[in-house]
Amino acid sequence: MSRNSIIEVDALTKVFNRQVRAVDGIDFDVEEGEILGFLGPNGAGKTTTLNMLSTLLKPTSGTATVNGYDIIEEPDAVRRSIGYVFQDPTLDLELTGRENLDFHGRLYGLNKDVREQRVDEILQLVQLADRADNLVKTYSGGMKRRLEIARGLLHHPKVLFLDEPTLGLDPQTRRSIWAHIQQLNQQKQVTIILTTHYTEEADYLCGRILIIDFGKIVALDTPDNLKARLEGDVVSLTFKDPEMIAKVRPLFERKDWVRHVHIVSSSNDHAAAGEMMNMMNVMRGMDVSSGVMGRVGSEGAIGKRAPRQIEKMLSTGPVEGSPASRRLILLVDDGGHRIPSIVKLVDEAGVDLESVELHKPTLDDVFISVTGRNIRDEQGSFMEMIRRHRIIRQARGQRVPG
Amino acid sequence: MVQPLSGQAIYVVLLRELKRYWRAKARIISSVAQSFFFLAVFGFGLGGFIGGVGRVTYLSYLAPGIIGMGLLFGSVFSGVSVIFDRQFGFMKEMLVAPVSRTSIILGKILGGAATASIQGILLMVVAGIMGAFTLTPALAFGAFAAIVVMLLITAGFVGLGVAIGSTLNDFHAFQLLSTFIIWPLFMLSGVFFPIDAVPFPFQVAMLLDPMFYGVELLRWCLLGAGTPLLGPLGWLISLGVLIGFNALMIAIGTYLFSRAQV
Repeated sequence: MSRNSIIEVDALTKVFNRQVRAVDGIDFDVEEGEILGFLGPNGAGKTTTLNMLSTLLKPTSGTATVNGYDIIEEPDAVRRSIGYVFQDPTLDLELTGRENLDFHGRLYGLNKDVREQRVDEILQLVQLADRADNLVKTYSGGMKRRLEIARGLLHHPKVLFLDEPTLGLDPQTRRSIWAHIQQLNQQKQVTIILTTHYTEEADYLCGRILIIDFGKIVALDTPDNLKARLEGDVVSLTFKDPEMIAKVRPLFERKDWVRHVHIVSSSNDHAAAGEMMNMMNVMRGMDVSSGVMGRVGSEGAIGKRAPRQIEKMLSTGPVEGSPASRRLILLVDDGGHRIPSIVKLVDEAGVDLESVELHKPTLDDVFISVTGRNIRDEQGSFMEMIRRHRIIRQARGQRVPG
Repeated sequence: MVQPLSGQAIYVVLLRELKRYWRAKARIISSVAQSFFFLAVFGFGLGGFIGGVGRVTYLSYLAPGIIGMGLLFGSVFSGVSVIFDRQFGFMKEMLVAPVSRTSIILGKILGGAATASIQGILLMVVAGIMGAFTLTPALAFGAFAAIVVMLLITAGFVGLGVAIGSTLNDFHAFQLLSTFIIWPLFMLSGVFFPIDAVPFPFQVAMLLDPMFYGVELLRWCLLGAGTPLLGPLGWLISLGVLIGFNALMIAIGTYLFSRAQV
């Protein structure tokens, strides 16, 4: 069965400040009715891509069509074809939920009868009918998100862009937003493109996943096919001493039953925050001494990101002044039976092992195998971190000072 | 680049400004009260000491100026609020809609002018109750003319605010804006003292302040006369300057807003 492409992207490129290639010549098609996920770390180019597809940003080169309209030649027709739920909250907190929707309907030129009917219908659909006439500032984070998604659909777009739809929401609310997204996709026949850096979100929701890193597409396939690429099992080794990783790595690379070896920069542990600050210092130092222009965050944010080489160094090996990796990931055939040999190898090398873990490949592992990094490492700039922190606080319904 | 205008979009942005204004009751009350204090303290306090200016009491002389103050502050801040729209994300919702930026900003300017003028009307009523204006049939016409003048004054200054708000990227510059732009505009507008009573260099500075002509026009409407310095056709001169200023500011504000990054 061949399906129609609703979006066709052709060598789309965005360069900021003449040197930062936030999106680097990407090509892909989106099929009508599918849910496509952009998976990638912060600053990978996800939002920049959406901003170009939605005509908010002009591409440096290349182009795309959305619903058959060219994003450069026919921006108004493109805008009429899409709904965009931004990463940052964009509701007017001083208006009621209904007023926010009504405002949107007017901007899109819907007449009064159509507007009222659709607003009522969509409020029912996202279960906000009973709170419709309360000011949005009294809503919880999940309610605000639902309202924004509802608003994005009010003018019956062919394509809905969702930028990090569940950022900062608790797991339960996240589940309910997922259910809403699936329901809307099926009931409204709307094509959905979402960005996320949660692998489980991409895995659960998306028919296909596009992994983007440093502005380039590194993989595009269904979640199952992506995982099937990693034949075998994933064995994750954590060492007490990061120095030892370099010593152990060659031992495994020589074995024919080991398909891949990756070193992952340490992340979710207690050192993450300190590491973040450390990384920033290293990046800043290098920026100054080498005179390299900082990589601007994909959203065009103020934050500077380290140039690519530095990031690569940080993620693949120890850099002076930054805490090194403690984890080694092996992709092996028949992992369960290999664990004793693995432990023995490490033992013979005289290295202390802290823990061993065995699992079937997940999207996290796929991500590591195609990018060499763990998606959970927040490799954004310090400013980016603060900005995200603000979004998360807002999503949780707290007032932000200032 | 010529952008098509959408009446619907202009109207809806205007409507939003009005709704938000009307909901912020505390802000309305506090700014009316502030102007009332100014009028009471300076009008009765300083007025008792000075007597009058020309043939009117000091309170009467002061009232159009204080109304002008409300218009000035209200309109510039309303324009600068594009910063907040951007900061709190709502701007993106407007910019991704299939309407031109020119429509959005014209709605913003009209909305800001309308809300600041409502503020001005409230102040006019307060000043009237305090006895600043002589109740004559001419005043009814004058008050109506004053409302038109208020819209004229505020539209230009919302444009100025939008221009500033589109250029500045953070709202910490707010303090600077207030100290170096709004206060001088206010102080030089001839609220407290007549222009013919100050030294020549000072007079030049006042004549360069667009707000001066706004206050002049309000005096013509509400008191029936302006400064002798501009002569009997002072109202026409003031009207001309104000219209010119308006056209310039709206053009600059619209241009800078259209150019600004999301």
